[in-house]
Amino acid sequence: MANMEKLNATLNAVKSLRSSVRQCFEQLADGTAAEQTEDNRTKFLVEFQENYSHINQQLREVETLINGLQPSLVSSYLGNTTYLAQEITQDRQAMYSQLVNSYKWIDKVHEHSLLAFNNLNLNNLRRSYTYCSQKRGRVQYTSCNNPDPEFIDNLFYNDISHTNTIYEVCRQFSSNAVVFATISHVLKAAIICKGVLIEWVTVKGYDEPMEIDDLWTESRYEVFRKVQEHTHSAMLHFFSPTQPELAVKSFMTWLNSYSKLFLEPCKRCGKYVSNGLPPTWRDLRTLEPFHEECKNC
Amino acid sequence: MGVTVLQPYQIPEGKTGAQAIDFLTKRLLALGAVHTGQFLVDCETYISAPQHGPSKAVHVLHDSEYPVTTFSILDTGTGKQIPLVADNLFDLLMLKMTSVYTSKKQTKIESKGARFEYGDFLIKLGSVTMMENFKGILIEIEYRPCVVLFYCWEMIREVLQSFLGVTVAKEYPGYFTSQPVVNAMGQQQLHAKQHDIYEPIDTINQYLEHFTNYRKQNIMPQVSSQSSNMSMNTGMRVS
Amino acid sequence: MNSMSMAQVASSKESVSQANQEYLLQGSIIASAVEHLIHRLRGLCDNVENVPETFHDLEVCMSMRQPNQVPLQVRVRRALGTRDLPFQLRYIGQPELDRSRPTLVRSSIDVGCTSTVLEFLTELGCRVDFEYVSQGFLFRKGRMKITVAKIFKIIPGKQNDSEPVCNSYLVELSVLAPNGQDAIGDEMRIFAEQLKPLVHLEKIDYKRLGNIP
Repeated sequence: MANMEKLNATLNAVKSLRSSVRQCFEQLADGTAAEQTEDNRTKFLVEFQENYSHINQQLREVETLINGLQPSLVSSYLGNTTYLAQEITQDRQAMYSQLVNSYKWIDKVHEHSLLAFNNLNLNNLRRSYTYCSQKRGRVQYTSCNNPDPEFIDNLFYNDISHTNTIYEVCRQFSSNAVVFATISHVLKAAIICKGVLIEWVTVKGYDEPMEIDDLWTESRYEVFRKVQEHTHSAMLHFFSPTQPELAVKSFMTWLNSYSKLFLEPCKRCGKYVSNGLPPTWRDLRTLEPFHEECKNC
Repeated sequence: MGVTVLQPYQIPEGKTGAQAIDFLTKRLLALGAVHTGQFLVDCETYISAPQHGPSKAVHVLHDSEYPVTTFSILDTGTGKQIPLVADNLFDLLMLKMTSVYTSKKQTKIESKGARFEYGDFLIKLGSVTMMENFKGILIEIEYRPCVVLFYCWEMIREVLQSFLGVTVAKEYPGYFTSQPVVNAMGQQQLHAKQHDIYEPIDTINQYLEHFTNYRKQNIMPQVSSQSSNMSMNTGMRVS
Repeated sequence: MNSMSMAQVASSKESVSQANQEYLLQGSIIASAVEHLIHRLRGLCDNVENVPETFHDLEVCMSMRQPNQVPLQVRVRRALGTRDLPFQLRYIGQPELDRSRPTLVRSSIDVGCTSTVLEFLTELGCRVDFEYVSQGFLFRKGRMKITVAKIFKIIPGKQNDSEPVCNSYLVELSVLAPNGQDAIGDEMRIFAEQLKPLVHLEKIDYKRLGNIP
């Protein structure tokens, strides 16, 4: 610390020496007054000698102070100012290889995140609503998932229409809709939505009661319990968080193929009944009927 | 409640009724059907006394599938049939009319036997007896999840074929193709029922149709009553 | 139903409910006082917290002539305004002559049935005697049934526009019970006492009313 004070005092001494020198030169530059009298000349000389001796005195002072200084062993921290002394020529630095490396890393991260995004989109079991990726194009997704009630009404009463099917939208549970679909004289389905996403589907026979208070009991008939299982796998298949509206539409088209549940024989074995059941599975793209045990062959 | 088709079974030559039932039971069990108890459908006919104008008949039927219901069909004698589905207390009401409508006891006919379930199918093998005399076999097959015959006839046909071992005609059963109905103008028309929503009374109508046919047969089917285990009291009179 | 045994099948016909006696007390109250009776009944009966149950029924009384016997009387009742409810077919026998009983006792068979019943009965040989509309309130107290209803005449050709028979409400207290349960008669008497002096429920002797068949 004492060193610091000494250094400070020395700097002050240097400062005052510089100001004295400066004063001296200023006086010299000013010269004598206008009239070249003897008085003036002597006065000028006296002043210069005063200044000069003052400078000499200060110089000595500085020299003694400097001699009293010891070179410090610990290097003091100088902040960003240290960089002032740095070499700035590119060739002299090892920056290039580092830059190339980090560029490669960023490229890899980009590639992996893209693959992950595609993968997650393919994996329909993922039902979470919080999405990490917030690209500009995906903002509409969040808004679609909390639509105004008319959106669903409009979707089912206007956009989606199938002959033989009657849709009825109920909104018993706040803004989330329950859609009752009666498909021909074959079956009744309750489609429980959250926003535009399908959360659950219950399937029952045409002669069974289907009420808003009782959406969870299974059908008393084996065939409709089976169909319900299949609707759940189809619901997950068609699930697409980025285009929920399209998902609902495709699902409903698929579900409507059950209007011929009892009428069509299995596409594979050609029979109507297998294990006491009609072909309960409908292909997701072609909508062709299959028995559950025939679909994977 | 679903579509039911009632079909008489032609007993193969040289077999008794009991043997035929036994054969069908084995076929059903081999198919994967499960035995789930017994069933009974009975029919009693009340005829109006002659002094009350043209003779009318009230057929009163019970079906164990609908244990607290009485089905009645009033035959006006002019080709018109009026069905009435009521609580089984209706039986007591019929007894209040005994001075006008009397029961023809000797034509009391019933079909009873075992009941099987195969998936959602309900299959009943009924031995028809009138006054304890074996008259034949009626097979009832119901596909419970479906309410329109047009949709599920091929399914029913396939299952029937699979345990009867014979081909069943592709045409809809007679009861569904031509049913006389009275239209709004009061005229009778033939109406194809295969697209209609099926109701329990349709099952009863089919039973009545077949029971009436059996009653008309004065001769016994090819199986003689002595060889049939189904008829216990062969000494009783035959209508 | 799946595991139905043969014994159950056979007994299904015999298991016909035996509650076939109707115990009945009747009275009437003028329309201006009916509000008080409704309040009284709401306090006394089982369904206190609810608004009283209402009904609006059309009843058609039919009879079939039988040789050497009193005609068979049946009534068909149906709810007006709703289509889904079953029709009710009812047989009411002749009242018992026993004067010592506290209530009128007659045999009764109540059968729920399909809407084909009117055509069925007509073809069976029944003729319509009269018909009326009954509109009012229904209360329950244990197995007792209390109805407070206004009776309307049917004006031929005007189904929807009927005119009241009189300015009073018919009050009926009835119980359907198996034969021989006579204690119910006293129970009904006690209940009827609690409605006095608003309405006097009595055992009406139809014989003395004259021209009713």
